[in-house]
Amino acid sequence: MEEGRAERRRRTEAPSHTQGGPRRAGVMTDVHRRFLQLLMTHGVLEEWDVRRLQKHCYRVHDRTAAVEELEDFINNINSVLESLYIEIKKGATEDDGRPVYALVNLATTSVSKMASDFAENELDLFRKALELIIDSETGFASSTNILNLVDQLKGKKMRKKEAEQVLQKFVQNKWLIEKEGEFTLHSRAILEMEQYIRETYPDAVKICNICHSLLIQGQSCETCGIRMHLPCVAKYFQSNSEPRCPHCNDYWPHEIPVFDPEKEREAGTSRATKRSLRSRQH
Amino acid sequence: MLQKPRSRGRPNSQAERERDWGHGAAEEAPSTSRGAGSSQEARSSSSQGSRRAEASPEVGPRSQQQLELKVAELVQFLLIKDQKKIPIKRTDILKHVIGDYKDIFPDLLKLAAERLEYVFGYKLVELEPKSNTYILINTLEPVEEDAEVRGDQGTPTTGLLMIVLGLIFMKGNTIKETEVWDFLRRLGVYPTKKHLVFGDPKKLITEEFVRQRYLEYRRIPHTDPVDYELQWGPRANLETSKMKVLKFVAKVHNQDPKDWPAQYCEALADEEARARPETSGPAPSS
Repeated sequence: MEEGRAERRRRTEAPSHTQGGPRRAGVMTDVHRRFLQLLMTHGVLEEWDVRRLQKHCYRVHDRTAAVEELEDFINNINSVLESLYIEIKKGATEDDGRPVYALVNLATTSVSKMASDFAENELDLFRKALELIIDSETGFASSTNILNLVDQLKGKKMRKKEAEQVLQKFVQNKWLIEKEGEFTLHSRAILEMEQYIRETYPDAVKICNICHSLLIQGQSCETCGIRMHLPCVAKYFQSNSEPRCPHCNDYWPHEIPVFDPEKEREAGTSRATKRSLRSRQH
Repeated sequence: MLQKPRSRGRPNSQAERERDWGHGAAEEAPSTSRGAGSSQEARSSSSQGSRRAEASPEVGPRSQQQLELKVAELVQFLLIKDQKKIPIKRTDILKHVIGDYKDIFPDLLKLAAERLEYVFGYKLVELEPKSNTYILINTLEPVEEDAEVRGDQGTPTTGLLMIVLGLIFMKGNTIKETEVWDFLRRLGVYPTKKHLVFGDPKKLITEEFVRQRYLEYRRIPHTDPVDYELQWGPRANLETSKMKVLKFVAKVHNQDPKDWPAQYCEALADEEARARPETSGPAPSS
């Protein structure tokens, strides 16, 4: 069967985009396409789930092939996604360091998943909550404080009762996490909006001293003020009997959490063991 | 991304401010490229080597990067819109994404369609010829196990829609609404009763599926009490086929598709018609 030259090229080669970078884009097969399609149905996905998804795609399209190492698999796809200004980004949950993945937009355009799911006043409510969260010491904003801003929202007038429901919608869609009446950012929001947050709130934004990524929840040194994510603390001070601040060398005043994020979860039960539960560690 | 608030961060360009296409776009001029005044040349951000670029609002020589960004925006727009299963209007594409790049719209759409197919396995097709609305068709066959790994409902391969499509086809491609409920009652699905899985079945069938163009719902004139007829919509014909639906019906009855000779013939003829080379592509008919 003779395929036209255009057909062949379309199927096997990445259409060339002359870019400055020397990196040659990888090749997409149906395994990768199904993976992307299904990954897109999740806002954010935990690593063990991502591996399961990858295996599923191999099973459907290429039973005989060896399942590529996840990191290489994803890097391959990302090299193709580069010209579309999106990427599969890896992050970690702030409370217990579980690795998570999300497909994120790299160009700051307004074409975004969130903008399409919510009305103008709902987006503004999120923006208000986001600002409170970023400004807070603990990374949490209380429901009361968020709801008090309901009168300042752009767009259609929203009552507090309605706003409560909108906040729950944010939780269901994995943009916010709720704990005891307070809200913080879901790892999905952190992955998707890190760039936006760093650019929009350059003075208020907090950064982890260890991994240099955006920090919403974490521990801070009481002397010099540097901050670290809980999983970053756990890793940095691992089996260190006298934990000291990496910046000012003062004794680190908080309990060092213990996680096991690299091991795969079994049947949905988490192996993370934390010595300190839910205490605000600032 | 959220629209940047003006009171914080760095000053925004006109183009950025007018960019919210999500909702409430009536008050604000949409599109990235319609800014007046300062044109921001595409620049790359230094934060963690991540890429960031804006499209210039000026018409004239556009850089490769600007074009690439436009195609990227278009691809994302189409993906996001299609996830809602609402056909995408050409006018919306022009308004919310293309803007000043209108002169090269056909090329941008063609490039976006190519990327969508190569990268994601989605084919951009016009819902009906000359309708100027588009949907994405999956070039990958859905597989039962997909349901276990996906985060949403996906295209209904089983379930209420398939049953209704099956009913319509088996009854000669059109069926009265009353007949549909007569059948569904036997499955415990009622128009007036809330269903555990389907929620409001009446709304789902007569509104949701219709809006998504899976079904067509028309009033039958001179009927008393008023009755409606249901037929396949254009999306049903694009996403599935008579043969696939017949196979589904056969499976449900634990029989062979050939046990319904009339429908089997019709499905075969439909398969043959589909196998003939396509004449219309994703390029817009201007």
